[in-house]
Amino acid sequence: MEGIIEMNQVSKTFKDKKAVNNLSFCIEKGSIVAILGPNGAGKTTALSMMLGLLDPTEGDIKIFGKHPKDQAVREKTGAMLQEVSIMDRLKVKEVLDLIRSYYPQPMDMNVLIRLTGLAESDLKRFAEKLSGGQKRNLGYALAMAGNPDLLFFDEPTVGLDITARRRFWESVRELAGQGKTILFTTHYLQEADDAADRILLFHRGSLVADGTPEEIKSRIVKRSVSFLARQEGPRLREILKTLPVLSDFYDKEGRIYVNTENTDLVLETIFAEKLEVRDIRIDQGRLDEAFEQLTISQEEAV
Amino acid sequence: MMKILIKQCRAELLRVIRNPYYVFWSLLMPIMFYFIFTRVVNTGGENQAEWAAHYLMSMTTFSVMGSAIMTLGIRLVQERTQGWTTFMRVTPLPGPVYFFGKMFGQTVMHLISIVFIFLAGVLINGVSLPALTWVYSVLWILAGSLPFLAIGTLVGTMKRVDTASGVSNAIYLALAVTGGMWMPIEIMPKLMQHIGKWLPSYNFGNGAWEIIRGHAPDWSNILILLGYLILFMILSTYIRKKQEVV
Repeated sequence: MEGIIEMNQVSKTFKDKKAVNNLSFCIEKGSIVAILGPNGAGKTTALSMMLGLLDPTEGDIKIFGKHPKDQAVREKTGAMLQEVSIMDRLKVKEVLDLIRSYYPQPMDMNVLIRLTGLAESDLKRFAEKLSGGQKRNLGYALAMAGNPDLLFFDEPTVGLDITARRRFWESVRELAGQGKTILFTTHYLQEADDAADRILLFHRGSLVADGTPEEIKSRIVKRSVSFLARQEGPRLREILKTLPVLSDFYDKEGRIYVNTENTDLVLETIFAEKLEVRDIRIDQGRLDEAFEQLTISQEEAV
Repeated sequence: MMKILIKQCRAELLRVIRNPYYVFWSLLMPIMFYFIFTRVVNTGGENQAEWAAHYLMSMTTFSVMGSAIMTLGIRLVQERTQGWTTFMRVTPLPGPVYFFGKMFGQTVMHLISIVFIFLAGVLINGVSLPALTWVYSVLWILAGSLPFLAIGTLVGTMKRVDTASGVSNAIYLALAVTGGMWMPIEIMPKLMQHIGKWLPSYNFGNGAWEIIRGHAPDWSNILILLGYLILFMILSTYIRKKQEVV
């Protein structure tokens, strides 16, 4: 696999605040990667550094093996930033034509017009007069103007309705199918889960998890093993307390709960030690709850 | 590269032409002043024809200085606060081309202002100058606007449109008054005259005042304007570099 983005121990400090802390990852060609995290987790900062808009305080970033500000990188990259604003007093078609002219192998004009989803009459309007949703569509088309191999989307679906959202992700999957690499930020786990084939989970500027949506979900969702004690004795609790994978241990409604990342190991222990328990259950917390938990703890820290 | 440059200039040109608002405001006040101080108020000069041409140059330089400082500055702040500048930095468009396009659009706007105000001078007072004098005046005013465009880029580094518009307005009017654009510098107190002669506005205006009297602009005018141009360019580049790092 070909590495398109390589981040090597990248940190960014603003005055006294560390926005991004020691990021290292590599993104391969043709993948759709989500940077997931609550507001203030450093997603946009990381993206800005990959786009060459910010210089890292420490560390090294390579895009297509080159510096992010390299002209060759810019020519193969497209971006849709959070604030989509368009130069005033230019018509939609003129803006598209202008941005296309910056690239050596631009996307076909008709394809771009289709991407905007705008009617012929809207194409002749001044771009600043478009509605919010239409501007976003234009922003998407502008990101595609250079027929890029690598695309960055910063919170791409904020403000889009459900239909527009679905259309957007369908089109993104199609792009990945053509071998383009896509990196986007989001604070919705659901969206990262649906759209990405890899999630980078950010928390307070650090990369706390990196994997497929399945792997990430299993990491952040709380699982527990619970049971009734057939015969209370100190031995039972002592053995459970020594489990290396234990994260929480409590009694609730007569049951003993063991929160753990690894339910298999807990069960193994129960059987191997022939613990006097019955009615064993494995429970899984809800995904959105788990993610919300992460978000809340972040806000409390601020 | 050439193709991009032409496209960029064309886009900026279209934006200027389609925004008559800016041109209108850069014309309204100078032409009104021109009418008042050459027709309504008797300024009592001996040579009325010379005064009509002199004050025409005052008002034209006044107008161009205003759009160079204010229009450019405020537009730059607008484009940045709305995120457009950031988007442009992500595209392969080289920064200097973007900058050149802006200057080109601005210069076209200045040219339109000059033509309209000169036309007003002819219509209001029948100002008559040799053809070459007209041409030299236009060229001087276009070239002399450069230090003020540099001030405009300096204003353009400000964070908010409100601040930029307030500050640039104050700089603009202060420069106009102290530089003798509203009233000849000779009627001001001696101290003000000494200060005024070092200001870019006086040197800008004086070049044009010399031209309509059949002289070339003083070397001091050229050198002082050049000095300001370099100073403001360095300042503006320095501030921009600093802002990029943060």
